[in-house]
Amino acid sequence: MPQFNINNLECVRHNNILFSDLTFTMKDGDLLQIDGTNGSGKSSLLQICSGLIRPSKGTIEWNNEDIYEYHNSFHKDTLYLGHKNAIKSSLTIKENIQFISALGGVIENQDYTEILNTVGLSDTEELYAGNLSAGQQRRLSLSRLLMTRSKLWLLDEPFNALDKHGKRMVENIIINHCNIGGIVIFTTHQEMEFNQYPLKSIHLGNNNV
Amino acid sequence: MSESINIFFVMLKRDLILAMRDKTDFINSLIFFIIIIVLFPLTFGSDAKLINELIPGVIWISALLATCLSLESIFRSDFEDGTIEQITLSRYPLTLIVSAKIIAHWLTFGIPLIIISILMGLIFSLPVDVILALFITLLLGTPTLSLFGSVMVVLTIGLRGSMLLSLLILPLSMPVLIFSILAVNNASINQSIIAETYFLGGILLLAISLAPIAASAALRIRLS
Repeated sequence: MPQFNINNLECVRHNNILFSDLTFTMKDGDLLQIDGTNGSGKSSLLQICSGLIRPSKGTIEWNNEDIYEYHNSFHKDTLYLGHKNAIKSSLTIKENIQFISALGGVIENQDYTEILNTVGLSDTEELYAGNLSAGQQRRLSLSRLLMTRSKLWLLDEPFNALDKHGKRMVENIIINHCNIGGIVIFTTHQEMEFNQYPLKSIHLGNNNV
Repeated sequence: MSESINIFFVMLKRDLILAMRDKTDFINSLIFFIIIIVLFPLTFGSDAKLINELIPGVIWISALLATCLSLESIFRSDFEDGTIEQITLSRYPLTLIVSAKIIAHWLTFGIPLIIISILMGLIFSLPVDVILALFITLLLGTPTLSLFGSVMVVLTIGLRGSMLLSLLILPLSMPVLIFSILAVNNASINQSIIAETYFLGGILLLAISLAPIAASAALRIRLS
């Protein structure tokens, strides 16, 4: 049973304590929203959780194993989506999607049209990703949520640049993932509904948690 | 295991496609390479013998400078669009993915550079032995430069100005340059170049075994 533990986490950036003594535990099916003012450390917290940057204090455990010591098994179970879309504008949408699915560990030759339909980019396979709008590029980037075997999702502002339908689509994908036992941590400033799915939340800001 | 090998080829193919689509990067470095070689003889005067003696060295120096220029682009776009985070946090060994990127760089830049060098040798009517020595030393030397260079690129990526990159790569490339020039000089006086070739091969093997590991470690540090 997957379990994600954060113990006494402290993050210092540019001699500023962003947050300290942050402790929480997440089990399968948990959905956590991190909100807070700009610069309160939302993205830093997600980057620390993903193992990209190290906290100044505290430990993070995945299935009771320290994520830095056992980073191979941790990375196999994690999907991190940052501010940047990781989309190559000079590749076509199909080529981008093929790369995303290979990197996500889903290599059986699946039908990409279904995935493109789900994220609302049908009939665009041969277009260059650079021709897409900001919202469409975000949708393409979010398609990696449909092509992954990871249990723990860390999503930094997944709803940015998305319209109403896009927002609902991502909500549904996230709820589906939680329903099959996944864990999702995401940041946003927006009010979320999630169809009454039990949503936990953490508020960061002004040095107190 | 087979999945990891798959991601290696996926990455290699992707980088090759990208290089073909955004040609400017490596074509500019190759043009730079040609221009430097052509400029040097203008300063030597018309002494054909002198030019013949100096051109192999000029080709090697130009190759070094052009490699410095072209290396910058290995990780730049991945760094800008966030792909580097996805790669670093992926389920696959980072070393393997980084190796694929380095190989793609050598295939799109190193090989054309070697071909152009041979053509340049022919244009300046160098002896066949010297051209052969140039070919062998470049064949062993340019991958070494790509490998060691990639570590430096990762360390300096995102920092302002690319001068630092050249300052780091050029001193590191000295052993390669020394043995290559020795080999070319030996070839020009009809002596064996076996010893230098072995040394260059040894340096290349060292680079193959160390550089991808060092580059991935540097990448993790650079992102944190």
